[in-house]
Amino acid sequence: MRESITAVVARGDTWSGVVASEPYDVAWASEAVVFLRSLGAEGHPEQARAWIQISPDGMRWIDEGSMLPIPRVDEIASVRLSNFGTYLRVMTVLPEGSSFKALLTLSLKE
Amino acid sequence: MATAVNRAFWSDPDLSKFNPLSRIIAFDQFSKGFRGYTALVGNYEHTLDNVLPGFRDMSQPMLSNGTHWDTGSHGGHDGTYSLKIASRPRPRSVNMALKRFTFRKACPIQIETYFALKPEATDLTLSASDAGAFGLVLDLQDNERRIMPHIRYLNALNGERIEKWQFKRTLEPAKDVGGDQSLGETRSHHHFGADGWEDIPGGSQQLCYNEVPTKYNWHYFKMGFDLRTMSFTSLQCNDRIFDVSSLEPMRMPAWPNLNCLFNVCWTVEADSHKRSFLYLDSVLVSGDWEDA
Repeated sequence: MRESITAVVARGDTWSGVVASEPYDVAWASEAVVFLRSLGAEGHPEQARAWIQISPDGMRWIDEGSMLPIPRVDEIASVRLSNFGTYLRVMTVLPEGSSFKALLTLSLKE
Repeated sequence: MATAVNRAFWSDPDLSKFNPLSRIIAFDQFSKGFRGYTALVGNYEHTLDNVLPGFRDMSQPMLSNGTHWDTGSHGGHDGTYSLKIASRPRPRSVNMALKRFTFRKACPIQIETYFALKPEATDLTLSASDAGAFGLVLDLQDNERRIMPHIRYLNALNGERIEKWQFKRTLEPAKDVGGDQSLGETRSHHHFGADGWEDIPGGSQQLCYNEVPTKYNWHYFKMGFDLRTMSFTSLQCNDRIFDVSSLEPMRMPAWPNLNCLFNVCWTVEADSHKRSFLYLDSVLVSGDWEDA
């Protein structure tokens, strides 16, 4: 049996400006699907993009190369990942005056 | 109270470092996975906006190999991974991971773990006052009462090292979390917060911090509680055994739909603008009962 978990990393957190999700330890996992859902928005956050970052230590981050759109309210965006090392997070920069309530979910599998 | 009768486990290198009661309810080694430990979502109805503020920092625990910038992976006590519970990077932010049981019979129970408490290694300094606290909370209910034993190790408060064990019996008022459309049965009380803690007599203890934030040494912790009398029976951390005769749990009338509730909840609490991490290598929950 392969270990798996679906982790809700941001649960209705309001994202605005320059924002990144909390670091998540993924060394045990070989694949991930990142889901981003909007539970509510102000302005036009869908004009921005979010992107995946990886890290050797959970503190210093570098772009992994994958991106995902900021979804409209009640819509959902996703991206599939592999070969990501030990730590994962999602980062975005939203237009001034725009924000959304993020439901960020990582589906990880050994 | 009987400890395990079958002493065959003394020759088992995984079990022999524990001291369980006669029946093992769960033996969770986190190198084998999450083992049913999950996040707490604060109670709510209709919208997450109704979750009480103290619960909003809570998120899923992680399986961690303890990787640091200066050494690489630290690993666990027995294997590669431990269960990692991380606070947000702000003072008094609390996160928690729990496993949800119910009990078959009111009896003595015991929770044991091998743990480490460390701050995020963002500074090249000692950082020993950055990790705020960690704790164990049980959430219990019999036919008449909801009982919540709270124990925490307060490592630091407002940048000062405190290093002592505390308990909490003061009730946090329950609040309705249904907003204008409340159905009236779902309430919430944020009882994990920084207020209301009392010192355990003789409860000062310095843990093995070990000089830098990227080294952690595994510690042993044990807490006993009797579901028949709803009172503490033991508290131990490494070489210190504490007098629990004056400790009290939170006590309140039974809540709806919680009969035989038995939740094991591990908390971590920040004291600074760095994340605090609680690592659990393994947790053993045992009890002492006969079905007849």
